Amino acid sequence: MPLVEVIDVSKEYANGEETIRPLDGVSLSIEEGDYVSLMGASGSGKSTLLNLIAGIDQATAGEIIVAGTDITKLSRGKLADWRAAHIGYIFQTHNLIPVLTAYENVELPLLLLPMSSGERRKRVEIAMEAVDLTSRATHYPRQMSGGQEQRVGIARAIVANPTVVVADEPTGSLDDETTEQILQLLSRVNEELNMTLLMVTHDADAGARARRRIRLERGRLMENGKELQTAKLHTA
Amino acid sequence: MLKFIPYVFKSLWRHRARTLLTVSGTAVALLVFCFIGAVQQGMLALTSGDDAGRTLIVFQENRFCPQSSRLPQDYESTIAKLPGVQDVVPVKVFTNNCRASLDAIVFQGVQPEKLKAWRDIDLQSGNWSAFSGQDDAALVGIDVATRRGLSVGDKFTIGDVSVVVQGVFKSPAAAENNLIFTQLDFLQRARGANDVGTVTMLEVHLNDTADPEALAKQIDQEFHAGPVGTTTRTKGMFQADTLADLAELIGFVHWLGYACVGLVLSLVATTTVMSVQDRIKEHAVLQTLGLRPLRVFSLVMTESLLLSTLGGILGVAGSVLLLSSAGMSVAAEGVTIAFEPSLSLAMQGLVVAVAVGVLAGLAPGWHASRTEIVPALRHA
Ligand SMILES: Nc1ncnc2c1ncn2[C@@H]1O[C@H](COP(=O)(O)OP(=O)(O)OP(=O)(O)O)[C@@H](O)[C@H]1O
Ligand SMILES: [Mg+2]
Repeated sequence: MPLVEVIDVSKEYANGEETIRPLDGVSLSIEEGDYVSLMGASGSGKSTLLNLIAGIDQATAGEIIVAGTDITKLSRGKLADWRAAHIGYIFQTHNLIPVLTAYENVELPLLLLPMSSGERRKRVEIAMEAVDLTSRATHYPRQMSGGQEQRVGIARAIVANPTVVVADEPTGSLDDETTEQILQLLSRVNEELNMTLLMVTHDADAGARARRRIRLERGRLMENGKELQTAKLHTA
Repeated sequence: MLKFIPYVFKSLWRHRARTLLTVSGTAVALLVFCFIGAVQQGMLALTSGDDAGRTLIVFQENRFCPQSSRLPQDYESTIAKLPGVQDVVPVKVFTNNCRASLDAIVFQGVQPEKLKAWRDIDLQSGNWSAFSGQDDAALVGIDVATRRGLSVGDKFTIGDVSVVVQGVFKSPAAAENNLIFTQLDFLQRARGANDVGTVTMLEVHLNDTADPEALAKQIDQEFHAGPVGTTTRTKGMFQADTLADLAELIGFVHWLGYACVGLVLSLVATTTVMSVQDRIKEHAVLQTLGLRPLRVFSLVMTESLLLSTLGGILGVAGSVLLLSSAGMSVAAEGVTIAFEPSLSLAMQGLVVAVAVGVLAGLAPGWHASRTEIVPALRHA
């Protein structure tokens, strides 16, 4: 069974008289250990799909099953618990908590999980090491460069060893050199830590790093020029 | 939840100017609140004290200021013979200011043995024999002593009355701490021969079975046809009547106490609302990481509670310090209201602070916890 199954998912926004439907019955399966890039025109609904899979937005119709749980059926509170345990989210603009140090920012997701402080420390140190920022542990976000901030953001997303790591244009606001660093780091996260990765990007080069490349066009998901069918049809 | 306390503190510290202003504003408002409470409690103590209902005060009919009430001292023996009367204490009162004043000096001339028998006073310095053996000796209440910087051996003069301090005392009845006791005949003679043989009032102590109301009527009946008519009331009634004007004022000031609570509420609520608005995106990020809405609510609530409780503690501590060190009181017509700190008042202040913190945190906390994550993440 795939790790992530998006089945016939639609998302509508009522905008006065007219209805905007960025996702119109899309389906997608992601296997464990996959590295998937999601591209498409601006406003095509990439972020919307990513946010649905991350469990921070609600679909109008359809099911999203992650590691056996249909997250469209969870209450707000349960969904929050689920996110803490299963999702690592990398934002375009890192979104670190300004009053916390790099170390504390990375530790934050672990505070939500049952864990001893010793275990917490160990995990934070491993994550900080993975992004090569051990020396910046006590620095505050404002004392770091954009690239360093984004690396802290990545450490925060992977520290709890989530089921899926999602990234919405993680290099969108970085220069070329830093972009390259971050993309290499993400590839390592996928290859060395064996984490499942879904990345939305505008950058064709970035998208090419992923093992699977999916495009969102007019509310439909395309891979290698063919529309993705529902998982159920796949198996039939 | 405890794991997030450092985050709450750091958030408050980040806007320390705002935090400091809110906390100090809350502290000042609660200080005023406690102060007003102390005034009310002082008033209440006078009219509801233990002896307020079981002691009668005989005053000259239709007179209010102690200077103008002049009863023949031999009324004492007439009253003492009435059934139900345990003892009669003649008292001469002299005050430098009959109107409401924050620094009125009130002398009470009482025979030393009656003073010892009926007033629960505890000498902090000086001694009894020096007081009872010396004509112009005085025992000074601790609050007057503090206010006027008096200690044993000092000479103290107000108007025509000059006394030597032979003791400083403390009484569990707070208002007594604002009195100066002298010998009765000294105070009778102090202002010329006119007052000899007269007293300002007679304090009538009843035994357990006597009916105060009936006895008061009986006393007034007794002297109805005499040279000077009397008005007899329970001590509580007497003090309430004497302080009627002040009581009205204090009743009004009571509303200011509520206004203080409202002030704290709006202050803390404003700060909490601002802090939530500042952090719409931050709360959305926290929710994305997996914080339950309820937990976001409690983070906001904790912040609001910390602000109000911190302000409350400072304000209550400040008021206790002020009230206990300054020995403040207000007097009118020879009756004083003492402003005393009390445990119940301090608790009341803290409860108000905590309750206001909860109230102020409710709406912003609810709002923060209900915020949709995706639109909030787009928030600048
Ligand atoms: N709250 C909303 N109300 C109405 N329409 C919305 C809302 N949120 C998103 N949309 C619309 O949904 C569509 C998809 O938005 P989405 O953010 O997913 O696009 P995107 O592919 O991520 O674009 P970009 O590459 O610019 O980030 C857009 O047309 C957008 O205008
Ligand atoms: Mg987007």
